[in-house]
Amino acid sequence: MSTAATAATQALTQPATRANADSSAPIRIAVKDLNFYYGQFHGLKNVNLNFHDRQVTALIGPSGCGKSTLLRTFNRIYSLYPEQRAEGQILLDGANILDPRVDLNDLRARVGMVFQKPTPFPMSIYDNVAFGIRLYEKLPKAELDARVESSLRKAALWDEVKDKLKQSGMGLSGGQQQRLCIARTVAQRPEVILFDEPTSALDPISTGRIEELIEQLRNEFTIAIVTHNMQQAARISQFTAFMYLGELVEFGPTNRIFMNPEKRQTQDYITGRFG
Amino acid sequence: MTALTDQIALADSQRPALRRGPSKGADSLFRGAAYASAIIVLLVLTGIIGSIIYGGWPAFREFGFGFLTSSVWNVGTEQYGALVAVIGTLSSALLALVIGVPISLGIAIYLTQLCPGWARKPVGMAIELLAAVPSIIYGMWGLFIFAPLFARFVQVPVSNLVEGLPVVGTLLYARAPSGVGILTAGFILAIMIVPFVASIARDMLDQIPTILRESAYGIGCTTWEVMRHVLIPQASVSIIGAIMLGLGRALGETMAVTFVIGNANRLSASIFDPGSTIASRIANEFNEADGLQLNALMALGCILFVITFIVLIVARLLTRRVKVA
Repeated sequence: MSTAATAATQALTQPATRANADSSAPIRIAVKDLNFYYGQFHGLKNVNLNFHDRQVTALIGPSGCGKSTLLRTFNRIYSLYPEQRAEGQILLDGANILDPRVDLNDLRARVGMVFQKPTPFPMSIYDNVAFGIRLYEKLPKAELDARVESSLRKAALWDEVKDKLKQSGMGLSGGQQQRLCIARTVAQRPEVILFDEPTSALDPISTGRIEELIEQLRNEFTIAIVTHNMQQAARISQFTAFMYLGELVEFGPTNRIFMNPEKRQTQDYITGRFG
Repeated sequence: MTALTDQIALADSQRPALRRGPSKGADSLFRGAAYASAIIVLLVLTGIIGSIIYGGWPAFREFGFGFLTSSVWNVGTEQYGALVAVIGTLSSALLALVIGVPISLGIAIYLTQLCPGWARKPVGMAIELLAAVPSIIYGMWGLFIFAPLFARFVQVPVSNLVEGLPVVGTLLYARAPSGVGILTAGFILAIMIVPFVASIARDMLDQIPTILRESAYGIGCTTWEVMRHVLIPQASVSIIGAIMLGLGRALGETMAVTFVIGNANRLSASIFDPGSTIASRIANEFNEADGLQLNALMALGCILFVITFIVLIVARLLTRRVKVA
């Protein structure tokens, strides 16, 4: 057994603060017969999957398995690229977001996204957070200030930046920048937050802080996270989906996927036999 | 520690030579040639500056500071002043920026964000071709085709419209609507700087990481908001650099401007009226000039040098300030 898998199993057996999967939680996102194409390439094949309310669902699998592709359908960010298209249904609170009539700007305010690398905008720390709010709501100054503060607090960044809100967001460290991006996303009060390998560019300490943060955010938001790091999936998620070659191989509560996988491929992947 | 380095040194000394040593002669020759190339640039630059200052010196001595503030340019009485040419240079270049920069940014934004894949190449090629047109062609086209149309369809109707009005009545009134003038020069210069500014701005926008663009769309920005608040500010430093490059070109452009600016030595508040620039004045008169007139032209050259130098410094300062902010 590889060290990675050992550590992943240890993460499960340690007395964790992580809550157990709540399969009775209402379904926030229902993916039905989803197929995805990059031009001719068939990137996702008949994916069916449910995301439960206020649970963290981790998408794992080897590079190119389609986990990021799946994540990128939930806010339809893929539609920036004309050669990419999705077929099937993705129901967000019962309404199909793949419907061409869906207002994309509105959808993206409801489904926020945090990317592989920190992406602060070229403006002050305050404006980085306030910018997203201003797009949708006209708040009086005091209320806006309060919303910015509470968002930065939720992103565990307030104490570090409260004295330099007017400074550029580009001057923060990588981990702080990523928390700034989380604050920016949280500030819009989305229903769902998508994390696309949010810690892949960060050091272990910053990674730890982001993981704690995700654990706290779960109380308010439905979370989907793509990760290459199996320990991370084991540490922070309630549900895990294992994908391979564009197909969903296995989905279930994280404990069961890691301790007692049903499929051979899942077992091989989490024990490090391939990937 | 010392023992270890000694051992390594020992091992190095015992190792057989794997390749022949560098040939000392060729190496120093190469080094010398590279030095010489660098020094030649400096020599040529100081030579040019020095000889222009030397040539212009009699004019500066004769007219003193008044050379800059006088608008007289009279070959008969040997009275020379630079004011008309300096103002013409600055105003035609600024008009070129005002007209050309928004168009350039529009092109860059279209090419990087909105353009369907198949149209990118042809439009991009067309812009690069525009940069390859020799300036004399722009001058001829400007004088023989653009200017008559401009006089008939813009100068005459606009002059009739604004006549007698305050401010615009002076600024946009053509006493003799011939089509040539400061604004015409601004238009031609704008066409000439657009390819430069647009292609640099396009390259800069292309270099912005995809992920930043996606995250701006990801919080629900429209394309306009993505451009206005995220991508343009992100590329602002390089875009200012591109604009300054365009300004430098507009200030020094000679042939096309000489054709269309009208070459009048008259101060006029109207941008429809003819004027002249430093470069066009020099191009027009160098042939017959001698004595003090030649010195005065040299002195004009010095002033152009100084203006372009100031543009360069301002560009540096601006970009530095943007970086800190």
